[in-house]
Amino acid sequence: MARVAKEMVEKAGVNVNQLVELLVKNASAELTTFYYYTILRVNLIGLEGEGIKEIAEVARIEDRNHFEALVPRIYELGGKLPDCMKEFHDISACPPANLPKDPKDIKGILKVLVEAERCAVRGYTQICNMTAGKDHRTYDLALAILNEEIEHESWFSEFLGEGPSGHFMRRGETSPFVSKFLK
Amino acid sequence: MIKLTKSELSHYNGTDNNPGYIAYNGKIYNITDSFLWKKGKHQVLHTAGEDLTEALKEAPHGEDLLDRVPVIGELIE
Repeated sequence: MARVAKEMVEKAGVNVNQLVELLVKNASAELTTFYYYTILRVNLIGLEGEGIKEIAEVARIEDRNHFEALVPRIYELGGKLPDCMKEFHDISACPPANLPKDPKDIKGILKVLVEAERCAVRGYTQICNMTAGKDHRTYDLALAILNEEIEHESWFSEFLGEGPSGHFMRRGETSPFVSKFLK
Repeated sequence: MIKLTKSELSHYNGTDNNPGYIAYNGKIYNITDSFLWKKGKHQVLHTAGEDLTEALKEAPHGEDLLDRVPVIGELIE
């Protein structure tokens, strides 16, 4: 635990227990999404599915990176991950990104993906709102993750034809915003 | 459809095997089976058994997400 760092956050008026609980729930959402996206990705096959596979894989890897980036902050603030993996899964900030009943329903898979990303965007917006101007390190981390989640949402939204935008797939390394927390 | 006062609503807090209900704009929603309302808590900050009309103004989502849970009644004075 980073005692003084935690004190600074408390003094700024943030409820650290609530914040840590939110960080743990979002870390769970990231790791469980990494797992469920693995299943979605392997089912992205055929003429429709293969075109989406690459972008689903980038989102999957970046969600795992988000988990890795969140864990140190949880422990700095005096929190911990649950001992039990099942408990960890069940406290996720977002519902499971389950494979649709028809695994060949590519549009259905896209809807699961975009819904998962939208849940994440809401979650990190909430953390940013709680920490802005008060807990600079958590804010910086949550904002970096939020930037990537918004891009993920845009990618899947565009595949669903919800509207045009200027987003492109990653060019180069994954996690351009979060990578500074992984070094 | 049921009718509950705020006081009666507070019993439906999603803990101790009680169902979880919330109110918004005069309607009562059953959130018992929602993954996002396990044990009557939502994203750490919100508790079942309450009128969340004001709280939703600060939430990172709109009222459209309430369409995902059933309306079961109305909140009365």
